[in-house]
Amino acid sequence: MPSSGARAGAAVRTLAGQERRFALALLLPALLALLLTTTTPLVYLVWNSLHRLDLGMPWLSGFAGLENYVRMGGDPRFWNSLWLTLVYTGSTVVLQVVVGLSLALLVLQIPKGQGVLRVAAILPIVLAPVVVGLFWRTLVLAPDFGLVDVVSRALGLGSHNWLGDPQLALISVIAIHTWQWTPFAFLVLLATLATLPPDIYEAARLDRAGAWQRFLHITLPLIRPAIVMVVILRMMTALSAFAAIFAATGGGPGSATEILNLYAYRTSFSELNLGYGASLAVVLMGLTLAISFLMFRLRRAK
Amino acid sequence: MSGTATSARGPRGGGLRALMLWLAAGLLLAVWAFPVLWGLLTSFKTERDVLAYPPKVLFEPTLDNYREVIFGASSILPNLWSSMIVSTSATVLTMLFAVPAAYALARLRYPAKRTSGFYVLATQMLPPVGLIIPYYLVLQKIGGLDTYSGMTAIYLTFSLPFAIWLMVSYFEDIPQEMEEAALLDRAGRLRTLWYVILPQVRGGIAVTTIFVFLNAWNEFLFAVVLGGNNVRPVTVAMFNFISVEQTQWARLAAGAMLAMAPVILIGLAAQRHIVKGLTVGAVKGGGRR
Repeated sequence: MPSSGARAGAAVRTLAGQERRFALALLLPALLALLLTTTTPLVYLVWNSLHRLDLGMPWLSGFAGLENYVRMGGDPRFWNSLWLTLVYTGSTVVLQVVVGLSLALLVLQIPKGQGVLRVAAILPIVLAPVVVGLFWRTLVLAPDFGLVDVVSRALGLGSHNWLGDPQLALISVIAIHTWQWTPFAFLVLLATLATLPPDIYEAARLDRAGAWQRFLHITLPLIRPAIVMVVILRMMTALSAFAAIFAATGGGPGSATEILNLYAYRTSFSELNLGYGASLAVVLMGLTLAISFLMFRLRRAK
Repeated sequence: MSGTATSARGPRGGGLRALMLWLAAGLLLAVWAFPVLWGLLTSFKTERDVLAYPPKVLFEPTLDNYREVIFGASSILPNLWSSMIVSTSATVLTMLFAVPAAYALARLRYPAKRTSGFYVLATQMLPPVGLIIPYYLVLQKIGGLDTYSGMTAIYLTFSLPFAIWLMVSYFEDIPQEMEEAALLDRAGRLRTLWYVILPQVRGGIAVTTIFVFLNAWNEFLFAVVLGGNNVRPVTVAMFNFISVEQTQWARLAAGAMLAMAPVILIGLAAQRHIVKGLTVGAVKGGGRR
């Protein structure tokens, strides 16, 4: 008896070993590719951020220690971009979730025609952000000829320079991002709402719970995981937003819409100061990782 | 899909309520579809009609803009070709790496599984602006700027982690018994994966392929920094129509329509899958922690 048990144990062990080797073989190519294409550049980025590397002044190149980071502390343009990044990310994510959820609740009540709405919602998602930015810059927001300006004039609100006025420009790029990505939140939340069991609402109505109470105490807790997921994913997109702003305003006027992404890009590839640009990018990375870490902690806590 | 949930929402109101719902839905439709439809309309206008006030809805359509962006001096055909090559090769490479890795992450037992899963997740969070600087410096050193291989390699940085995680969620859907049965039949692990598991996730592979291709086609930042005269994807070429002196609206619209035609067509054809692909992570997310 003991001998057969030992044999079975050995068989399980070889099976487990076989599985482990198989897993490694399947995983290794992808992990190596990621190591090569993401981790190595990241290390090189940090290394560069510790250097003076200005293609406009190549003779100054060399190791600089923390010089770039020290410079950041006294750089108002950096603090401005950091602030704009937080405003941009926070407002677009909140808007997307609030608008997306409201629309999903609304559309859920429409018995027919959801298919058409879903098609309309797919459109912005599949478009390239750079094309979205250019479309808005010309067809939607251009003074005199853009749709929004035409409507604004028709309503007697007058013509505005939607992308040329610093304050309006920030609102405009937030609107562009919200326009493009709200459908994502809408589609995800609509699908989630449709999976909720109807009998819960039946019971709640018997208890004479009002519509608002039903939403607050039944719907919201049930779709909370989906909302948290949407918030995480949308935050990642907002934190790496670039092309739409680049196309619409280029970060301007001045630095009115210059979120950290654009500041790092402009510093590196317009002003050719790659060392300082690298240190800005490192801060952006740190910020992104910190926020995602927080979000995942939050998700686990629920 | 929501019939049951709707009936649970309360007694159907009167005609006014229905009207309000339809109005709201119509507005929604307009807000999302209008810029695209307006772009389509503009692409058939002359530059003079574009700048008419009030905007013209009725006008004599012209194909001149399309003729110009296809055959003219600012033809975007070479750019479409660039986009095609980069997106296709990035997609194929991504799927070759991602599918096996996702299967291992979803199904197999091996040491440091959580760590490797977390690593893939972490790489997904790297903002592209952070990667472009080192890539630019390295490719400049080895002469990889403005080449297809250099561009394709950097596209992996955003497509691979995403594809792995999407595929993991599809692999997790397959009942465990299926592969156990196959393994008991002494089919090898590789044969089991190929003949039993992969056919089960065909839909997932299709959805993931679509998403990876869409993202690659729409990419702009890497394309504008690492591209050049040889490799200039169509997203970059859109700026051909915009200069300091003058914006060629109608041509830009025609170019954008051509550039976006592939993704719009794929998006419309695969809309059901896209919604599923978008939601698969979210709906399951609650369970997987």
